[in-house]
Parts: sequence; C-alpha cells; structure tokens
Amino acid sequence: MLEKIRAIHQQVESIQIENGDQLEQFRSAYVGRKGVIADLFESLKTAPPEDRRAIGAELNNLKNLAQNKFTETRDRLETQQAQATQPAPVDLTLPGYPNEMGSMHPLSMVRARIVEIFERIGFNVADGPEIEDDWHNFTSLNFPPNHPAREMQDTFFIGKNPDMVLRTHTSSVQVRLMENGKPPFRAIMPGRVYRNEAISVRAHCVFHQVEGIYIDRNVSFMDLKQTLYHFSREMFGKDIRIRFRPSFFPFTEPSAEIDISCLICKGSGCNICKHSGWVEIGGSGMVDPNVLTNCGIDPEEFTGFAFGMGIERITNLLYQVRDLRLFTENDVRFLRQFGPVS
Amino acid sequence: MVLDTNLPNGTPAAKYFNLEADYIFEIGLTPNRADAASHLGVVRDLRALLKRDYCLPSVDGFRPGSGRTIEVEVENSAACPRYSGVSIEGVTVGESPEWLKKRLQSIGLTPINNIVDITNFVLHELGQPLHAFDAGRIAGGKIIVKTLPGGTPFVTLDKQERRLRDNDLMICDGESSPMCIAGVFGGAGSGITESTTAVFLESACFSPESIRRTVQNHGLNTDASFRFARGTDPNGTVYALKRAALLICEVAGGRVASEVVDVYSQPVAHFEVKAGWKNIDRLIGKRLDRQEITGILQLLDIEIAGQSEEGLQLRVPPYRVDVQREADVVEEILRIYGYDNVEIPPHMGASFLADFPAVDKEKLQRNLTQMLAARGFFEIITNSLTKPGYSGKLGDARPGEDVEILNKLSEDLAVMRQSLLFSGLEVLAYNLNRRQKDLKLFEFGKIYYKKEGKYREHPRLALYLTGDVHAESWRSGGQPVQFHDLAQAVSQILYRTNAKNIETADATLPVFGYGLAYRLSNREVGQAGLLKADITRTLDIKVPVFYAELDWEYLVKAYSPRVVYQEVSRYPEVRRDLSLVLDRQVSFRDIETLARRQERKLLKQVNVFDVYEGQNIGAGKKSYSVSFILQDENQTLTDEVIDRTMQRLMSAYEKELGATIRK
Repeated sequence: MLEKIRAIHQQVESIQIENGDQLEQFRSAYVGRKGVIADLFESLKTAPPEDRRAIGAELNNLKNLAQNKFTETRDRLETQQAQATQPAPVDLTLPGYPNEMGSMHPLSMVRARIVEIFERIGFNVADGPEIEDDWHNFTSLNFPPNHPAREMQDTFFIGKNPDMVLRTHTSSVQVRLMENGKPPFRAIMPGRVYRNEAISVRAHCVFHQVEGIYIDRNVSFMDLKQTLYHFSREMFGKDIRIRFRPSFFPFTEPSAEIDISCLICKGSGCNICKHSGWVEIGGSGMVDPNVLTNCGIDPEEFTGFAFGMGIERITNLLYQVRDLRLFTENDVRFLRQFGPVS
Repeated sequence: MVLDTNLPNGTPAAKYFNLEADYIFEIGLTPNRADAASHLGVVRDLRALLKRDYCLPSVDGFRPGSGRTIEVEVENSAACPRYSGVSIEGVTVGESPEWLKKRLQSIGLTPINNIVDITNFVLHELGQPLHAFDAGRIAGGKIIVKTLPGGTPFVTLDKQERRLRDNDLMICDGESSPMCIAGVFGGAGSGITESTTAVFLESACFSPESIRRTVQNHGLNTDASFRFARGTDPNGTVYALKRAALLICEVAGGRVASEVVDVYSQPVAHFEVKAGWKNIDRLIGKRLDRQEITGILQLLDIEIAGQSEEGLQLRVPPYRVDVQREADVVEEILRIYGYDNVEIPPHMGASFLADFPAVDKEKLQRNLTQMLAARGFFEIITNSLTKPGYSGKLGDARPGEDVEILNKLSEDLAVMRQSLLFSGLEVLAYNLNRRQKDLKLFEFGKIYYKKEGKYREHPRLALYLTGDVHAESWRSGGQPVQFHDLAQAVSQILYRTNAKNIETADATLPVFGYGLAYRLSNREVGQAGLLKADITRTLDIKVPVFYAELDWEYLVKAYSPRVVYQEVSRYPEVRRDLSLVLDRQVSFRDIETLARRQERKLLKQVNVFDVYEGQNIGAGKKSYSVSFILQDENQTLTDEVIDRTMQRLMSAYEKELGATIRK
C-alpha cells in the first residue's frame, strides 16, 4: 500500500496543470471525495493495524500535497486569468447605439448662465406679463405720452384707449416688483419682449432680455459698475475689460451703455467689433427718481441701479452666431451643435 | 462718365473732381439731447470735455433795414413762446455756391436753392430751425400764429392736401389763410420759388408738446419737427435769424429790409436746480472734488448761483431741456468727469441678498430641459406671433379669442398663438424639408388669448415626435415612433414634477386622431396623441406626428419638493402573474383600476409584460400577461393570503371584464 501511495505521490508531484479543465480533472482524480486519495483513506481501514500509523502518516502527506497543489494552482490560474486580455468577441469599434442625446436651446443655456451668475450674488428672479398696459411699459418708466423717447422702441399695440402693448422691455416687471413690495429689491427679470421690426439677420420682432434692479439706501453708480463688471468676468472670462458710455434711457439718470472688450480680437479690432475693440452688451443706469416716485418709493431715501441686456446679443457674442433668425428657425443641425455643452 | 484722357497717369480722382479732404464724425444722439443736434451743440459739449473755448460766427455786420416790417401776431403763446422774423429784399433765387452745396451734401442733404439751403445750413449749424416765406405771398403783410378749425384743408409742400386738426398750430397770413404747419412742414403756396425776390425769414420757438401732437396727427417728421419736438433754445432765435439773414445776403444778393420782429411775451427763465453734496456723492458712490464739480458745470453753461456746505444752487440754460433735477446734474458731472474714471471696488459688496422662492420654477424648468435633452429631445424656441388661421383649427378647444396685433408686421405675424402646436409644426416642417426626418422636439412657451375682455397668458410645455424613435443601427433597424414613446416622455415629466396619482382619459382635443388626457387631482394637466392628418397637412407634413401639450403653469404650481421618508418594508414582496384573454376594447387602465379596487392594502404594483393578438386566441381578442407585486408592510405574506388575493382578482376579472384566465 505504501508503494501505491508513493507512486501516486510521484504522479501528483509531476502532473502539469495549465488550465481550468486540467485543474478540474486533477481535483476529481485526487482531491475530490471520489478521488484516489479518498479511496486510499477508505482502504486504510482494512490495513493491518500495526501499519496504519505509518501508512496514515504517508497518506496525510499525500493528501496535503494534493490539496496544496490544487489550491496553489487554482490561485495561480485565477490570477493569470484576471491579468490576461481576452480577444474581443466582436468589433469594438462598431458604434454603440446611435447618439440619441438632444440639446438645450442656446438661448436657454445663456439665460440659465446669466440667472446663475446673478443668483450667486444675491439677486432673485421676478417675472410678469408680456401683454402689458401703457402704465407699466411706458408711463411709469418716465415715458410721457407722445414723448419722442417712445419712438426709440417700435411697439406692437393690441389695444387702444386704454393702450395695451406687447412689452418692449422687461422693465415693466421692475415696476410691478416695486409696486407690489417694499425696498430693498435685488432681482433680475429674464423674459420675452417684442419690437415692431421686420425679421432679418440683425433684427427680430421677438427676442429675449434680462434686466436687473437693485434698490436700497445708498446704492451708487459705483455699485452698478462693480456688479456689471463682476457679471462680465463671470460670463466672458477673467480677462474681460468693461467700459461705460453716457447714454439716455427715460427710466435711468445717469444712464450708461455697457461695452466689453471684443471677445474675438481681444480689443485689437476686427469685423465683429467694427474695428473699435469694443462690443455693446446692454444698457444701465441709476433708477430715475420719477420711476421710484411712480412706484411709491421715496427717491430721497432710496437709490438704485437698473440694467438690461439682450440674451440673443450675448449668445451671438459667445458662440459667434451671426444670424438672429437661426434662433427661431430651430434647425436641428444648428441646435445639435450645442448638445455637448447643454 | 467721360474723363479727360490728357491727364497724367496716376492723377488722384479727388484732385480731378476738386474734392476737399474731409472728415465726417457720426454721433449717436440720444433723444434727450436736442441741444446737441447741431454743430454748435456738439461744440458746446466738446468745450466741457476738452476745456477749450470756442467762437461763434459773428453777426456784428447785421444792420436792420428801414422798410416795411411784417407784423406778427401770436394768438397761442403757450404753443409758440417766441416768434422772431425779418424781411430780406432783392434776392435772386438760384443755385447755391459750391462751398454751400458741398457742406450740405457732406451731411447728407440735397441742395435746393440758395435761400432754402441757407436755412438748412443754419439749422444744422446752430440747431435753430428756420423757415423762409415768399414775402410777396403773405397776404395782408401780416403773420398770425394760430390754430384753425378742424377739417380746414391745407396743401403742404409735397403737394398733398391734408385736413388740419384744431390743435395743429399754423402760421397764417393776414387773412388767416394757413401758409405753414408751424415747425413741421411748409405750404405749397407760400414757399420760395425762382421768381421770389423778397423773403420773410422765420426763426421761432414752438412748444414740444404742440409739435409732437401735430407730428402724430399727420405722421410728418422733418428736420425741424425733430428739433422742436425735443426742445430748442428760446434764447437763440434772434442770433440764428441774423446769421441766416447775413448768409442769404451773401449768397443771394439781397439786403435786410426791416427791423427784426420779435414776439417774446414771456421770456423763458433758466431752470433753477438744487443739488446737494450728500446726494451727489451718494449717487456716484465716491466724493468728487468740489472745485472739479463746479468747474465741469460752468463749462456746460450751468451757472453756480450759490454754493454752501449743503450743496449747489444752479441756473441751467433753457436749451438744456434734459437738466432740470439733481439726478440730471449728476449725469452732467459724471459724463464729463468720465464714467470710466469711477473706480470699480475690488470686493463685491451688497447691502442685501434677495429671498429665494421655496419652489424655484427657473430651476425646475432647467432640470426638465436637461432631462428631455438627455432623452434625445431638442429644445426649440418659436415665435409667439403667428397666423390668424391656426387657432380656428383648435375647434371648440381654443382657450379664447385671438390676441390681435393692431399694427401687425404681416398677415403671418398678426395674432398671438393660442397653442404651441402650430409654431412647433412649422419647425418640424422646416427640418423635414431639409431631410431631417427623425425629430424629437420640445418647447417651454406661453400661449395667449383674450377671454371675457381680459388678456391671458399661460406657460405650456409641448413635445413633438416624428420619424424613427431610435435611428437605424447595426443592432436593429429604425423604429418608427409610437404613441408610447411620447407617453413615456410625458410620464417622466410628470414623475419629475412630483405629480402623483395621475389618471388618464381619452384625449378630447380635436387635433388628435387618438390620444390620452392626463389628470392630476381631477384637473387636466395635458393631452398627448397622434395628430390628425388634416392638422399636419396644414404645414405640408405628410408623416405621422405625435404631440403633447402640458400645462406647465399648473405643474409648477402643484409641485412640491417635500419628501417624507417611508420605512423600507422588512418583509419580502412576492410576484404573481396572470395571463388574461380579453376583448380588444378592454384597456390596461381597466385591469389596473379593478385590481386596485379589489386589493387596496397589499397590491403594490401592476405591470403588463406581454401583449399578444393573433389567430391562437381568436378575432376581437387579445392576451395580456400581467404581473402583480404584493407586499404586507407588517408581516411575511403567507401562501394562503396570496392565493386568496389572487383568487379574488381572477374572479373579478372574469366577472367584470369577461376575461378568460389562461392557466
């Protein structure tokens, strides 16, 4: 019996196991409950009692050897397998499912970004109707009836006496905000506005604005500049330069137009900025005392600034869109270009 | 054009045509700065900016004549605070000299004759509109400034007959016949002609209100009315008159024949404005040097009538119609000091941060937009002005009357949309015509209508689907859009707006061939379905289009961000399946509703995992394989309870829906 054990011992030692199948054969032949070693333990019971101790010791040796060989080989094969690269079953460069992502509209993206920037510095969002009465769109904003300032904005009328208009700016929302609350106010008003202008590359009868207002004690022109400079840096980049030009809006005094350094040429002059190095992004100013009075706020106690800009304008500058009609045509080949950054 | 061939090669064209080198400065004039609508006006501003003085053309050579003076009577001095005039005789009307023609042409004016050209020249030089009458045609040798009865006919210079309004200020002759619409437009019968030898030159100041009314009455805009409507200098009429008279004598060879007539019953005073240092500093945000401030104001012709610890007492000349209040004075100071010379503080400051709403609808919309974009939808933005014919196709479902634009741009943009449907279909058509055939679009937009005399506008969310829902690929062919592709998007939107317990019914909008209406707490929140072919054909679309319109306004209103965590049940859930053979018209909604009515406590979920129609089960029948998830929150379900529950469901299906349960 000892010889038999030694022979098997030799077999176990010399067997080469290179893969899982061989390992399984080895396991069932030697290690398993129905393997030869198990058989030998079975026949140990019938061995002469005086030999049992010696055979038993040999047999245990053999069992340990087989068991160790099995676990070591199994671990070795598993490690090998884990590290091995397998040939791909198919061409991995075949496209996955077709790209089925859509996109936000670029105007929504820019609107969201503007809102985000102002929200971070404590402005909230206010809204109001697009169909407005004369008071909120004009008179309260210091456009007296028949005043030439009204001609600055080509207005769509939907009713006469009393006049109802499609709002020409979201300043009407500022008035509603101030009328319905008490200062301080710090809010922006994004929204759709209308001008009676034929649709072309450079003009549209429907477009979008964001206006903002900040009313409190001691709000100054310096605060206005700081807020708009902050906005410009956040929107267009840290290197942006900003300048303010005297202007006129009935609802602000002093009034200023806001220019930023041209994003394309960085100020050295190009077609986009008409070789001036600057592009206009909007208007601003200190809220006119008449407007404050019209909204029930004492201009002796409170001051404030207001600003407004066109979302289309900013979008054009950011993405170099040259034709306003693209925004309402909604060609998916146009929209798709904004998918990756939606 | 034939050129002189004997000129040496390389001769500059400018030299041949005798063109002077010239610079044109274009200024962007704002409507408040009527005072700067002239060369003098710009020069006055430049003086303050550059701190350099300017000189005005001298009128010292003006000598009044001794001839007959045209008498002037102003009936309405509120509308005409000042009227000055002078007669010039012996003029020869003809072409202007080269220098005059060139100067007018360089600012875009067409030379007419020497008299009219001088009036235009002085208008642009000094900002004072002038009018030249043929003195021989002033009946009665007298001018009356008055209004005439409404309806009086008057032929203007452009040979058009106009009906006057009773508030149009007119320049009339001694017989009260109108010669000129004051400050706006001349008459055909009183102007300068080639045979004119005597001229009466008018230099007046009309009130902006009166001029604006007349401009509106007749839709007339002229260089003169532009300035009068914004306010001219009442104290500059006589200087401009003398300047023009001298120039006319120079270019048309006449002589001043009369004294200057000047009706100025109530001289216009300077504006008295108080400006406190505290308010000036507060508005600017920094303290400017006091001397710098007074220096700037003085350079702008603003007199310092008084100065104290408190502030300034100022006298602003009447031509600065835009400077009448403290804030206006601050703008003047800042404009010249330089907006860009006000430093930007290095740190962001705010005295106050605004409250945020509990439900941020901007954010909710942005989240939904991004969800839809991630699902393959493209966001569109369409015009809210549209064709009047569209709303009629909504049938009785149109929310109200069209909001009509009184001064519409075109018939295609004549009303506001009552539905997002058609502007979206226009986008589909636009893309389909460009071979973009698989389209998934959505729009957040408002609809507008008029109801019971009130204007309404409501935000909506619309979805549009056409073509293949999944594009063709190597794993599968293209799959045409079905109703349930749209329904999936709708239910995801409702899920992400926390709209729970949605019920459905058949769609009622007449635009749908078939579809569903969605209800949230007994209020309709939207409809979705296949558009009828006659709707899509309106836009020449020949492929099926699925459309959904949701009441975004209400979904936002009903939205609550509140979540109360429910303990996850410790007891396992079990699943049981039933195969039901049903009549075709029985809906899954019937199956689910019945199940929930039969078992309120244990039933957690009902789902269909197979739908079959075919020969094996007979015509008019269908087979649904339905799974039921049961769970008891408080104990492990026993087989007995499960079997009893399923038994109850099966007999209900058999009895109430006529189902055959396939074993």
